[in-house]
Amino acid sequence: MPSVKRRSFLKTTVSMAAVSALSSVRLCAEEAAPISTVVVVHGKNISRMLEAGVAKLGGWDAFIKPGMKVVIKPNIAWNSAPAQGGNTHPELVKACVLAAEAKGAASISLPENTCHPEQETFKTSGIEAALKGTKAKLYRPAKGDYQKVGIPKGKILKSASVPKDILACGCLINMPVAKSHSGATLSLSMKNWMGSISNEDRRSWHRDGLHQCIADFSTFLKPSLVIIDATRILLTKGPQGPGEQAFPDELILSTDPVAADAYAATLFKEEPLNIGYIKSAQELGVGCGDLNKIKIERVEA
Amino acid sequence: MLIRRNHIRLVLLIVFALLALGRVPEAWKPWCVLLPSLSPLLNLGGAMATYTFGASALLALPLLLLPFFKGRFFCWRLCPMGFVLETVSRLNKRNVRLVRKVPFIGKGVALVILASALAGYPVLLWTDPLSLFTGFFAAWREPLTWVTGATAFGFVLLLLVSLVAPNLWCHWLCPLGGLQELLTQLANKLRAARRPVQSPVIHAENVRVGRRVFLGFALGGAVGLAYGNIKSAAAKAAAFIRPPGATDTNFNALCSRCGNCMKTCPYGLIVPDLGASGVDGLLTPVVKFRSQNNAQESFCFQKCTACTQVCPSSALRPLKTEEKQQTAIGLAHLEKKDCIAWEKGEVCMVCQAFCPYQAIIELNHKKVKCPSVDEEKCRGCGACESQCPSLPVAIVVKGRNPQVSLTAPPPTPSAQHVKS
Repeated sequence: MPSVKRRSFLKTTVSMAAVSALSSVRLCAEEAAPISTVVVVHGKNISRMLEAGVAKLGGWDAFIKPGMKVVIKPNIAWNSAPAQGGNTHPELVKACVLAAEAKGAASISLPENTCHPEQETFKTSGIEAALKGTKAKLYRPAKGDYQKVGIPKGKILKSASVPKDILACGCLINMPVAKSHSGATLSLSMKNWMGSISNEDRRSWHRDGLHQCIADFSTFLKPSLVIIDATRILLTKGPQGPGEQAFPDELILSTDPVAADAYAATLFKEEPLNIGYIKSAQELGVGCGDLNKIKIERVEA
Repeated sequence: MLIRRNHIRLVLLIVFALLALGRVPEAWKPWCVLLPSLSPLLNLGGAMATYTFGASALLALPLLLLPFFKGRFFCWRLCPMGFVLETVSRLNKRNVRLVRKVPFIGKGVALVILASALAGYPVLLWTDPLSLFTGFFAAWREPLTWVTGATAFGFVLLLLVSLVAPNLWCHWLCPLGGLQELLTQLANKLRAARRPVQSPVIHAENVRVGRRVFLGFALGGAVGLAYGNIKSAAAKAAAFIRPPGATDTNFNALCSRCGNCMKTCPYGLIVPDLGASGVDGLLTPVVKFRSQNNAQESFCFQKCTACTQVCPSSALRPLKTEEKQQTAIGLAHLEKKDCIAWEKGEVCMVCQAFCPYQAIIELNHKKVKCPSVDEEKCRGCGACESQCPSLPVAIVVKGRNPQVSLTAPPPTPSAQHVKS
């Protein structure tokens, strides 16, 4: 065995250390360049805020083409009034539907597997009334409205039942309300898909590992645009409420659901990568959950 | 004349059948209570037994007054059950002499029902024809199973009886018919009393009627009192859930098995009981959160009082929304060994997310949030049981019999943070 001289050992060690240090500096430099953009609109008038936010992301033309089928997924889970913060604000839903109509969408559907009886929920949430006079179709999917799909990139989730309208649409807008959640810590955009899938899926996700299933599903279903309603947020007693609230008066827009969720988590003073599904989704390459790599553009409207 | 008479009966049959089926606009659905409420036996019997006389008691007036002017007009011209049985009876061409010798049992049954109702425990209420009719149509709902179809049993039995012994029911057995007959006799008696000369024959008849009425009442009262006392001791320990507003000790007697509450529940949560509430509770309504009738996997929604509004015999008391929200029909029981949070350490808390009354407390167990039931707040609405993802279900509601009123108000928004 050749003996290693003290000097040569030191030399190699030092040079290797130097190389690795340099390369890590270069890696850091790469990391510093933002890879996702989140637009945060602050204001009081929701429809003006929405327009300002979308304009920053290239305007509605970047998302909706004439004749396109549009699906909007608000959170309308609970039979509670808008002020309670359990559901997406009706004004936001309406503003988005009107924008889609103006852009000549062929159809606008809002399939929602509510947690409370749908007739009551659609009424109390104010969303049924907000959509009156528009061509938007708000409904709770029946058994026949679902289609089973494979989740090829899922770690543990291999299939899920998704409303056919969602699978067939040209533009998919995920429009959750930000709120605390008894199981998932926070309910943001990726968690919002649990209001689309079938009841049986919901149950099995909890059994199999809630956070990983949420992340797995996000490898499959990629929204064209994420708009998180953070005009008021439930700090406690989520997802249903009533609980303590805060009023950030913000809309959070992004094409990267992980980045949008990561920013929204900060409103609750949570470290994004401590939320299981944000971390897992980043690992699966769904998007970027690292605040250092997210470019946050603030807009006042 | 016959044709016109049957036309009216046919129209009434269709109207009442549609109401009983629930195939009417949503706003009309509470009217399904109309047909059974017309029966004084159900309506007044239930009211007497529970000491609750509301405006709905007025619905019994037509059938109480009609016999004084028109005898058994209701039986022969209006009753939908009578029309069906008469039609079926015609299929039997043989003239069965035997039934002519049957005494009018229905009169005695009517007296027994009313007397035992006064004693708080109306026995035989389920023999009321309008209830049997309603129960038959209430059974037709999706999906039809042996359990949900069970309330149709009495109606089918009457059809078979009519095939074998035509008109037996209407002429000799029906308690509502018996009541009509008794009232007709009373009317005749009053008329006879006003006449100056009484024939000795009528007099003798009057004495007999009077004695039978007395005997029927005495028997009914005695049975009612005795049964009521036996029942109140036996009914407590059971693990079945009654719909909200249920009376406690005399429920099995008060319930006429008309199926109105089962059919009216928008979520298919109420099914006929096949034994859990005792032999005398057969076909009474019980709440089941996990059944194929609850297709949407719903629970007893805190804003819904539908079932409490449609009971013709006061077995379910009409509740206001606030009362309903305070009424605990059951209490959730958590089986830790089946709970995925307690046992496997998975994040879950679905029960807490769904609980409308914030009755699920979170405990920390090995750094995972785990549920526990707050008995002071749990109303037994079944939100937790209907949604629990564990296999087997880890949180199951057991009935609170008697139901209790929890004065703790439902959660209201707490003091809101002022925007900083």
